Amino acid sequence: MFPGSEYNTEVWSHFRAPRNSGVFPADASGVVAGAAGARKHGRAVEFQLQVNAAGTVVDCRYRVFGCPATIALCSMASEALKGGPLCDAARYSVVQLADRLGLVAEKRAAAIVVEDAIRAAVRRYNNNSPPQLAVVKFTMES
Amino acid sequence: MMPMAIYLDHNATTPLDSRVLDAMLPWLEGVHGNPSSIHRPGRAARDALDKARAQVAALVNARPTEVVFTSGGTEADNLALKGVCHGKPGGRLLISAIEHAAIMGPAGDLGRMGWQVERVPVDGECRLKHQALQKLLDRKVRLVSVMLANNETGVLQDVQAVAAAAHGQDALLHTDAIQAAGKLPVDFAALEADLLSLSAHKFGGPRGVGALIVHRRVGLLAQISGGGQERGLRGGTENLAGVVGFGAAAELAQSELQARMRHMRRLRDALESGLHSIPGVHIFAQSAQRLPNTVQLGLAGIHGEAAVMELDRHGIAVSSGSACHSGSGQPSHVLLAMGVEEMQARSAVRISIGGGNSLEDIHELLAALKALAASHSEALEPA
Amino acid sequence: MKQETIYLDYAATTPVDPRVAEKMACCLTCEGTFANPASAHAPGRKARGAVERARSQVAALVGAEPGEIVFTSGATESDNLAIKGAAHFYSDKGRHLITSRIEHKAVLDTCKQLERDGFEVTWLKPDADGLIQPSVVEQALRPDTVLVSIMHVNNEIGTVNDIAGIGRVTRERGVLLHVDAAQSAGKVPIDLKTLCVDLMSFSGHKLYGPKGIGALYVRREPRVQLDPLMHGGGHEHGMRSGTLATHQIVGMGEAFELARQELPQEAKKLNALREKLWRGLHAAVPQALLNGHPTQRVCGILNVAFPGIEGESLLFACGAIAVSSGSACTSADQQPSFVLRALGRDDQLAGSSIRFSIGRFTTDDEVEAAVRVVGQEYHRLLDLAPAG
Repeated sequence: MFPGSEYNTEVWSHFRAPRNSGVFPADASGVVAGAAGARKHGRAVEFQLQVNAAGTVVDCRYRVFGCPATIALCSMASEALKGGPLCDAARYSVVQLADRLGLVAEKRAAAIVVEDAIRAAVRRYNNNSPPQLAVVKFTMES
Repeated sequence: MMPMAIYLDHNATTPLDSRVLDAMLPWLEGVHGNPSSIHRPGRAARDALDKARAQVAALVNARPTEVVFTSGGTEADNLALKGVCHGKPGGRLLISAIEHAAIMGPAGDLGRMGWQVERVPVDGECRLKHQALQKLLDRKVRLVSVMLANNETGVLQDVQAVAAAAHGQDALLHTDAIQAAGKLPVDFAALEADLLSLSAHKFGGPRGVGALIVHRRVGLLAQISGGGQERGLRGGTENLAGVVGFGAAAELAQSELQARMRHMRRLRDALESGLHSIPGVHIFAQSAQRLPNTVQLGLAGIHGEAAVMELDRHGIAVSSGSACHSGSGQPSHVLLAMGVEEMQARSAVRISIGGGNSLEDIHELLAALKALAASHSEALEPA
Repeated sequence: MKQETIYLDYAATTPVDPRVAEKMACCLTCEGTFANPASAHAPGRKARGAVERARSQVAALVGAEPGEIVFTSGATESDNLAIKGAAHFYSDKGRHLITSRIEHKAVLDTCKQLERDGFEVTWLKPDADGLIQPSVVEQALRPDTVLVSIMHVNNEIGTVNDIAGIGRVTRERGVLLHVDAAQSAGKVPIDLKTLCVDLMSFSGHKLYGPKGIGALYVRREPRVQLDPLMHGGGHEHGMRSGTLATHQIVGMGEAFELARQELPQEAKKLNALREKLWRGLHAAVPQALLNGHPTQRVCGILNVAFPGIEGESLLFACGAIAVSSGSACTSADQQPSFVLRALGRDDQLAGSSIRFSIGRFTTDDEVEAAVRVVGQEYHRLLDLAPAG
């Protein structure tokens, strides 16, 4: 009934102290980025994945504008993707994560935006292999 | 403590139960949020509201989501009638002839707006005439409102049967259970009512808070608009301390119901057997099924309001008819509907017993009534 | 997470003043005023006395006669009673009403309901400062206008409307004026003897009284009549039926009495605290924007837009201070505030606006702590956000 009032402690903790937030340095290698959402629609996410030659996501960064759920989902997704193969990142469902956290239905939109940003980054990787390519410029509505 | 030695007007209002007060006190002072706010104090207020909602629902076997808190019984009754009828093309509305002013008032208003309001008669013992109801019911009837227990005579109605009859014609059934709750088991689901009114201050809760139980299938138009509280059915910031007190009173009433009923019935029976030895006393609707705490009597030749004043001088608080009518000078419409003569109706005195009364209170009352009857017969028949 | 909450949401509801709570508790227990004030016996008479005393206390704060005060279950009911009651009673004279887009939900929803019932409503827009000017009201008046409803102080941004000026306009044209004074009573001086206001709504819980009680002022000279909202029993001169809660009424009376005694000093103190809060916030967040007129405002309310970040996150990040985005009665639905939109703020700025409202028990320390928390969390969230 009250968006936010039912955030559990896990969501709360990630919102209070988001893990892996920020951007990679411009000269970092193996970084692909994707973006989704728009500020004027209430949430915008940029997600960066750092992928090594073996196709493993070694690290993540993100920047996020949005409600506490959007911020927490970015943080939790970044933790989940780290150390896994990129093909898992492509299939990773932030929507399921949101459901598991008991977020109210209206917050599904937040999960979709985070998921879209991650998938956009994965697509960049697939379209631009070899992955050593430098940071991919992303386009975003603002 | 109390300025009045003996209080026997519990159908008008009951003293606040001290345990209910204890539950309310933390909410009377200090920082408390608006239940609609999303910050922590606001959420704490919301939690308290939800707890009270569950307690009230449990008392009448309804679902918490069916409870709409109001500012009291009158508002609940108004919301039931007008909420069902407003915004709809007119139709027929049936109410019993013995309803409380809080039903007759909105029914009268709907009548002025073009609704055809009809009163279902009662018999000499204040019981609804079911055949008359059946005759009046047709497809044009949108709502039937019949109270569960009458506030003056205490007589109970077979609301379950009324509900079945109403539903047979696709009409909704509202019951004013304000006097019944806390004195009898009330089961919203078993009654198959669509709407049911409650008031906290009739069973140890605070004044200024009540509820309308609204079955999920019923569409209602809010009468107080704004803010979207109570599922949009009743706007306005909730009376938090009051609602908490209502919840506490409901829980106590539920857990202590059997003991309370036994206590009230014992005093009531003592009162009635004592009354038989006072000349000129008549007990109205004595053979009907009644609340365990209510006795409405008439003292031959003595005006009810005079009797109330005389008992008041003895420190005994009772009432002539309902509190809402006192001072109006009108004889009770309930007694008139029962076919009681106007003179006799004017003699009515209502005794309503509560948990705090003792057998001694009853004996004092009996003594006072005896003296009253005696002085009156002396005045009538000078030696 | 268990630190004390700093309560800066006095415009949503105020804590009950301990002196008020004491009177109420007394009324619920020892003094035995529990009886039904409509009853003829001694306890009933005593309860009636307490109710009448409270009626005088409420009347005294706003320069009304006690007989002009009708107790209700709150300002929302008062607004409903005033607007629906007058619209229906005078519907033979006309079926046109005027109100503004920045009224409280109680007024907005009531007027919308009347539209559904066949009345016509003109919805005035505020100027860029959030004010409804008397000239704008005058231009909207029609021969069939029966009622104008304009709030005194806006609950979200705290601006004060010129109800004296609006009253002169409506009185001259023979149109009734209703004013929602839930946010202004006890904070802005009100003298109904000189104001041309016919109906005025008051709330108990916005002025350190209990929740669930309010009042409506109904002018006697010239006489204003209303169709009641609730029927049955004929309490409150037939305008509002239902057994009155004596302890609630007594609490409201005491709250209004205290406000009358303390208004001048309290307004001065709150104005200074509000200025301190605004200066502090502006120093911590130079991008911050004040919503509403800079000076024509009530002492306790400050509404600030924080560009570049999302509103709900800021609200939750500042969880240690209880504030509102928009007004509490609308925060459950998370729509961008209609008042801020009406002021011309875009969705994002409206969404990232916070209402701080201070009151009787707010301290310097609390204001300083609030500034610290908001500044810190604002910059944290801004750093987290992508460029744009």
